[in-house]
Amino acid sequence: MIQVQELTHSFKIGKKGKERQVPVLKGLSFAIKEGEIVSIVGRSGSGKSTLLHILAGFLKPDAGIIQIGDVRTSAFSEAESAKFRLDHFGFIFQNFQLMPGLTAFENVELPLKLAGVAKKIRREKVQQLLQLVGLTEVQDHYPNELSGGQQQRVSIARALITDPPIIFADEPTGSLDSETEQDILLLIQSLNKTRGITFIIITHDDTVAETADRVYKMHDGELTEGGVGHAS
Amino acid sequence: MQVNDQIDFVRQHIKKNKLRVFMTILAATMGTAFLIVLASVGFGIHDTLRNEILDNRLINQIEVYSSEMDLAKVEKLKKREHVKAVVFRQSVSINQQSELDGFIGSHNMTVTEFQEEAKAGFALQEGRLPENEYEVVVGNDFAENLIELNTVDREAEPSTYKGSLIGKQFTYKMGLYEEKELFPEKITLTIVGVAKEPAKDWIMDFNIYADAAIMPDLTRIFTSHVDDENSELFYGNVNVYAENLENVTAVSKALKDEGYSVYSIADQLEQLDVFFLAFKAGLVFVGTIAILIASIGIFNTMTMAVTERTREIGVMKAIGASPKLIQRLFLMESAWIGILGTIIAVIISYGVSFIANMVLPIIVSAALGEEEIASMDITFSIIPWQLVIIASAISITVAMISGWRPARKATKIDVIQALRQEL
Repeated sequence: MIQVQELTHSFKIGKKGKERQVPVLKGLSFAIKEGEIVSIVGRSGSGKSTLLHILAGFLKPDAGIIQIGDVRTSAFSEAESAKFRLDHFGFIFQNFQLMPGLTAFENVELPLKLAGVAKKIRREKVQQLLQLVGLTEVQDHYPNELSGGQQQRVSIARALITDPPIIFADEPTGSLDSETEQDILLLIQSLNKTRGITFIIITHDDTVAETADRVYKMHDGELTEGGVGHAS
Repeated sequence: MQVNDQIDFVRQHIKKNKLRVFMTILAATMGTAFLIVLASVGFGIHDTLRNEILDNRLINQIEVYSSEMDLAKVEKLKKREHVKAVVFRQSVSINQQSELDGFIGSHNMTVTEFQEEAKAGFALQEGRLPENEYEVVVGNDFAENLIELNTVDREAEPSTYKGSLIGKQFTYKMGLYEEKELFPEKITLTIVGVAKEPAKDWIMDFNIYADAAIMPDLTRIFTSHVDDENSELFYGNVNVYAENLENVTAVSKALKDEGYSVYSIADQLEQLDVFFLAFKAGLVFVGTIAILIASIGIFNTMTMAVTERTREIGVMKAIGASPKLIQRLFLMESAWIGILGTIIAVIISYGVSFIANMVLPIIVSAALGEEEIASMDITFSIIPWQLVIIASAISITVAMISGWRPARKATKIDVIQALRQEL
């Protein structure tokens, strides 16, 4: 499903005129199959978040090819990337990244609004998903009125609302306690099984990594396959 | 994103910063209202001056002077292209007296062709136009100048004629100013119409308007008493009426080329209009400066909005909002400020204009101590729809230009940096 070839990226650091290039990704090549849960683990600064940002189209690679299905996303313009994200990707962030001025319901509804879906269809889909993640009771609450676990469930519902084939999760349990972390990981596994969604999880937490079908280890801009996580 | 969702989105954001948006709208309102009210003064003065010039006169009228004007020349004028009517009015330049039911008065007779007068738009208050030489139309103030015979020499307030004039017969006599007695010949005339009141309050119309057919009778009486060949009974003026306003310039130019002295209101109005066009443009320009100052507020508000919402913009971009949509949402917000500011400004401006027109004449007359000014029809402020359109276009355009840069800034927000922002 996702094919990555010779992906390289570097950042410029230092004062203007005295900048130097720091390579972050050093010619990565890997593939992710449809319906897999893949986790990318590594220490801070290893380049795992940069890899996610490039795969999601937030950042343009210096070189290399990213192919998702039949589409070469690495050649996309900013507007094309945005459209592709809306149709094909869901995102779960460590800090949930919910809109503070919108209720749980409205936050989940937002991607459908961006996609121009009619109000009636939106309402039905949001209700279904809020029921799935168990948040029907608090649908009219604003993010600051929800617990961390509830916020992450809202974030998951928002990621699922457009029925994307791929969901990127950046440290999805980084802000949660261990009990809530387990709940979220079980939800991810369940969604993967029932809906066949491909999950790409960026984490430094071994417990999280273990829920994946496959684990990649990122070290100093290079990626090595670290073996299988849980038995699928 | 559907349009109603976009509007809803903008509305939600405006709600969040009510006070700041309110202050920005207030600034936009003040700027736009200033422009409209300022320019409305130009429109008001222009309109007042136009009305002053046009009062009692017709826009398509061309006054023609010639030392040798005669009927043959008038007939030639009638045959010209684009000429609707040629009115050759001749006044009787001699002492005249009218007597009606025991009331006498001094009224000047004006001899004219009613066929041409009708074409030129001679307006009657009542009755009809004359159909023969002994039927006449009298001026609106004719009766005011008819004094009861018994009261003429008394010191008491003279009594004037109060009854209806239509259908009344009166006798008309002529005489020389230097002789006490009038000529003995009388002409009996029937009043068939009363002319419309002159537009200007201070003009009194005591005239008798008779058909040119009466001229031989008058000439006969005059020549039987006056031998001097040099003295003239009639002196006249000719008014040419063009078919419409567009033809006035062409007709008056052609007449000038033929040696006539020509005056038309259209010429005067053209100069006045050109002057006021420049004047009003100047006022709009000054008013636009006020809107530009208000636009700084809009720019600040929008820049603040973008800065405050950096993380939200980042999230929206991350989940798939296109840069164009982000830009449109911010432009809509600044346009909304401009539109609302303009609507309020238009309402306020009409209110200010109404109050100015009501109060300023009173203040001016009180300050100058002249009651005439208050009774005069002075319009200080007029807001035509064209001014509303111009001001709205300027205000909304300036608001959108002010919001353009912040909106562009919003589209350039880096998703990764935005998502890293602390909540």
